[in-house]
Amino acid sequence: MTLQRSNIRALVLTGDGINCEEETALAFTEAGIKAEIIHISDLIENPSKLESAHVLALPGGFSFGDEIGSGQILALKLKYALGGELKKFVDNKKLVIGICNGFQALVRLGLLPKPNDPRSMTLTHNRQGHFINRWVDLDVPTSNCVWTKDLQAKKISLPIRHGEGKIVFKGNDENQKSMFKTLTSNGQIALNYSEDVNGSYERIAGVCDPSGRIFGLMPHPEAATSKWHSPSGKDKSSAVGIGAAIFESGIKYCEQNFN
Amino acid sequence: MKAYRFEIYPNTFNLSQTTTAEESLKVWFKEYMKVSFDKFWEVRYFLVESKNPIENFEIYASEVFTDSVMETLFGSMSDNQEEYHGWLKTRGFKNPYLIDIGFRPGVTDNSAHAALEALKLIPALSKIDMKVSSGSMFYVEGENLPQDRLEKMTYEKMANFLLHKVTVTAPTDLFFNSRLKNIVFPNVQITASKSEMIDLTVDDSVIAKMNQDNCWALSVDELTYIKSYYKNLGRNPSDVEMEVIAQSWSEHCKHKIFSSEITYSESNLPEGVKPIGDKKINGIFKSLIRGSTLKIKEERKLPWLISIFHDNAGIVRFDDKVDVCIKVETHNSPSALDPYGGALTGILGVNRDILGVGLGAKPIANTSVFCLAENKYFQENNFALPLLLKNPDRIKAGVHQGVQDGGNKSGIPTVNGAFVFDRDYVGKPLVFCGTIGVIPQTENNKSTAEKGQRPGDLIVMAGGRIGKDGIHGATFSSMELVDGVPSSVVQIGDPITQKRLGDFLIEARIKGLFNSVTDNGAGGLSSSIGEMAQLTNGADVDLEKALVKYPGLSPFELMVSESQERMTFSVAVDTIDAFLALAAKRNVEASVIGTFTDSGSLHVKYNNETVADLSLEFLHESLVPMKLNAHFDMETKSTHWIKRKIGKPLLPRKNYKKILMDLFRSPNIRSHEHLVRRYDHEVKGATLVKPFTGSADVGFSAPSDAGVIWMKPHGGSEDNAIAIACGICPKVSEYDTYLMAEYALDEAVRNAVCVGANPDEMVLVDNYCWPDPIESSRNPDAKLKLGQLVRASQALYDLSLSYGMPFVSGKDSMKNDFIGKTAEGDIVKISVPPTLLVTAMGRVPGLKTITTSEVKNEDSLVYLIGENLVNFTSAYELKELYADYDIGYPLPYIDGKKQMDLYRKFHTSMKAQLIESSHDVSDGGVLIALAEKMMGTNYGMELDFSSIAEKNLLGFMFNESAGRFVVSVSFKNQKQFEDNLQGHSFLKLGQTTKSGILEVTFKGEEILNVKGTECMGNYKIQAEGIV
Repeated sequence: MTLQRSNIRALVLTGDGINCEEETALAFTEAGIKAEIIHISDLIENPSKLESAHVLALPGGFSFGDEIGSGQILALKLKYALGGELKKFVDNKKLVIGICNGFQALVRLGLLPKPNDPRSMTLTHNRQGHFINRWVDLDVPTSNCVWTKDLQAKKISLPIRHGEGKIVFKGNDENQKSMFKTLTSNGQIALNYSEDVNGSYERIAGVCDPSGRIFGLMPHPEAATSKWHSPSGKDKSSAVGIGAAIFESGIKYCEQNFN
Repeated sequence: MKAYRFEIYPNTFNLSQTTTAEESLKVWFKEYMKVSFDKFWEVRYFLVESKNPIENFEIYASEVFTDSVMETLFGSMSDNQEEYHGWLKTRGFKNPYLIDIGFRPGVTDNSAHAALEALKLIPALSKIDMKVSSGSMFYVEGENLPQDRLEKMTYEKMANFLLHKVTVTAPTDLFFNSRLKNIVFPNVQITASKSEMIDLTVDDSVIAKMNQDNCWALSVDELTYIKSYYKNLGRNPSDVEMEVIAQSWSEHCKHKIFSSEITYSESNLPEGVKPIGDKKINGIFKSLIRGSTLKIKEERKLPWLISIFHDNAGIVRFDDKVDVCIKVETHNSPSALDPYGGALTGILGVNRDILGVGLGAKPIANTSVFCLAENKYFQENNFALPLLLKNPDRIKAGVHQGVQDGGNKSGIPTVNGAFVFDRDYVGKPLVFCGTIGVIPQTENNKSTAEKGQRPGDLIVMAGGRIGKDGIHGATFSSMELVDGVPSSVVQIGDPITQKRLGDFLIEARIKGLFNSVTDNGAGGLSSSIGEMAQLTNGADVDLEKALVKYPGLSPFELMVSESQERMTFSVAVDTIDAFLALAAKRNVEASVIGTFTDSGSLHVKYNNETVADLSLEFLHESLVPMKLNAHFDMETKSTHWIKRKIGKPLLPRKNYKKILMDLFRSPNIRSHEHLVRRYDHEVKGATLVKPFTGSADVGFSAPSDAGVIWMKPHGGSEDNAIAIACGICPKVSEYDTYLMAEYALDEAVRNAVCVGANPDEMVLVDNYCWPDPIESSRNPDAKLKLGQLVRASQALYDLSLSYGMPFVSGKDSMKNDFIGKTAEGDIVKISVPPTLLVTAMGRVPGLKTITTSEVKNEDSLVYLIGENLVNFTSAYELKELYADYDIGYPLPYIDGKKQMDLYRKFHTSMKAQLIESSHDVSDGGVLIALAEKMMGTNYGMELDFSSIAEKNLLGFMFNESAGRFVVSVSFKNQKQFEDNLQGHSFLKLGQTTKSGILEVTFKGEEILNVKGTECMGNYKIQAEGIV
């Protein structure tokens, strides 16, 4: 199966306080695919848009002002207005990426760590208790994640910008350990901080579903698509940034698996 | 009515977890109030009120309010209402007090808004009428808790009396669970009063009293003028008319001081202080600020100057595809009353200025500058603050959180700013908020810079609803801060409502659904409609059609309320349906409240009755400028509110390392990284130079000079960027505000040039924050302050003209004084030092021109560019730190023409990529700048200061002035770099090494040896380990 890159379509959600739709769409279009920024209300009105798309992206931001809990209300809105359509989208083996607030929404929506399972994981306040914007070093472990295929076993560096990025599993210590073990053996741990930056369980920065097609991560690859984005003056150049590789990996999967 | 209370507790697995926020509150109380809490537990709650009981409500509420992985819901519906006592026990409580913080009726409650929207998403609840209110409660316990002080302590830290209601339940009463049984929902209960005529035919003393009671803040001359105007009309004004006049003529809106005719004189200038000569100034704004810009525009024929001064922000063409605009505002008085709300509405307000420029620009970056005091200073010197003043550290925490939420939640990166500290900001903090925006050059075959409303267009108010909040804000900020301020002046921002409004505005603009727009800031509808009505020459308004937060608002309140997040649109009749339909779809509330006309008057009705009929000519054009006298005399001694001499250590002469480390730890030099990193500075993926820089192996903690924003992600050219920088130097005001203004302007420009901006494609924004310069019995030295204002403005005129750099926007805030009482009952007045912020925005022509401050390689040459200053004593930071250092004359003024020539030549080298790293020399002088360059890397420097005379070493290292850089340049580029600087002073100081040590020798003797890590450690003394 092959699908021409220019025929791959990504829907990038916006509205209700999502902030990173433009740079996320730009990351996709720079890689040569079609990306459409779509307001949640328009998608609710016209859910068939999902049928013609291969990728759904939930960008970063502060949906509903992060009130009650980050991603909480966005997840409720998606669940009640688009729950069936999203299930179909995922069942059809299409790709989903949630970045930062999008990751939080995917988790609260129950699409991560595993669709249709009861909630077992959450993203809560950083151990520091506040928002942090800095570049962090990350390890990309071997996993099922189709979005990190080009990066596995590498060390990369991306910006984080969140106040609630600490992963916590449900239950007591034993439950948590066993949950972590399951995710590890299923190849679902897709991204790790090289050092503890926010108190996240075992330094997890990104998680995928067992199929590897649904990916949620706290760092922002769309803000590191060019070496001009680099935080160090010496590293700045017109070369492609490491963040682009995540979008590239997802797109390669589409090329190879859709027609 | 049925009321519910839902409290959100951690579930069994997370019960014993304490949070960082709880721990830091404990630390706060211990440090500032000497009260130790053993246990401290915060629990959030929501109140819901509905007409009828709601079936299965607990299940729905649980889904909405809790995260099932970590939390559990408890409340008035729970079967076992004693259950939480068990949780308290697990948490280690024995006899806790319960402190409950709820909102007062009508206060903006963002959590509640979001919660209501979330509840409505549940299909079974979507049609049910509900009201929601949110709150926090704290279980606290400790030995010897001062139970009678708990309420007061809560108001001093977690709550604000103007916004919140605090209830304390004693351990013995907790048992009754009365909060779960008797739920009091904070409903607004007010009734509207009818519009009334104000009798101005009475005695002047009666009018003066009305002026005071109604917060009109009109001057005696203005009142007399209004009285005679209405006498000629043969009627009295209505209350609505008086309110509209009062806010339109407030200093805040009308800038009367900047329009006034000033007679300036000067005397007793010491040798070395620049005379500017006695003169008459026909309006500082008109003749000096706009005056210099118009002259520059004429001389330089600048085609890129698209729109200046007349709109909400200035627009320039620094990109081939899009235009850029910039505006900087202050929000000082609101921040003094409620630091969080004040700063939040400050940043959201300036964002709306950008949304309201031309046909609506899109905000792409924010700046934030704070001028604050530090509690430590008063604590260490054992000095009790006047009554009613907030702890300055709480103000700092509040304003910082406000800017953080305002920027982060709106998805606008905060790319540049500063923290400035001085004890005299303890009375009024200064909060500067700036925003940069982009707008297409043309759209729908029209220029987007032009507002295009026409008579017959409908007036539409969109975004937030009107409440009592912010009534008299404009007039209030033109008054001194005194006791007994009505709570309506406080405003809280609602970022999510504004984000939706902004997104909608841009979408509607692209679709061509409106003709014009402006924001509702100070003065509310009165101001926005009043301004827009000038363009068509009239407006008819039906006030009752405006959407309100709650019933009971009087007509004048509807007209002048400053409820946030509102824009006023001018919409053509044939696009109104499409406009309203899109608004509804985007969850933006909009109401058609009238029509623009060409009748010449602002005609306001309420339920078909005329409540105001004001001539626009009278309102906007008829006020005669004030006549003021300014006198600058350096012998005039203003009395300072701190009478006692504050002890300082002696200068450790020759111990340069000690001085350097002292400087690094001082408030105006040390790092605020722990605060800055809580701002999102990279959202939108366009921030190329971030607030901090360094090398990857050391980390990114060294200071950058300016923010650089890539235009490509904003629809601009691929190889183009904009630099944003600021300059502010109030510590110099004490010596001469002319010099202070030069420093501010030059520092902003130089910072921008440092990162690669072209000085020939650069514009400026001025923001003055001054102590009251109007004479009164309480203000004996007003003439001096006005004299200082004239000198600062003259400096801006002279230097901007020499640099050929136009001002495109600006603002002034002229009443930054606090008047209160000490505990002993003495009156105390605290005025801010004359403060001027200059913001520079310049084009970076090509991304390869971008240069950061940190050293990039070993074996590169290190230069100081600019004068070595050995003939001055201008180490202002040494003066701040040590008892035996004094500032002397002459003052280091700038030779503007020569300086600009240097910047052009410097930029030639930047463009040719001859400079590896560049950093400005500002607070602390040359040595600080050099250390800052190396400490973000593993490189070091070997420098030789032998060319300086021994007696001048101290001055060389620590003197401050404008106009200087420290740079590193590779050997291969040495010649070309030096050739490019012909005609200018520069000094080769040495070269970079891989040692990580700053080594300075003088005539073969080592005079300084300090590790970069040590510099960084001192620089990050307050920022270390927190990020």
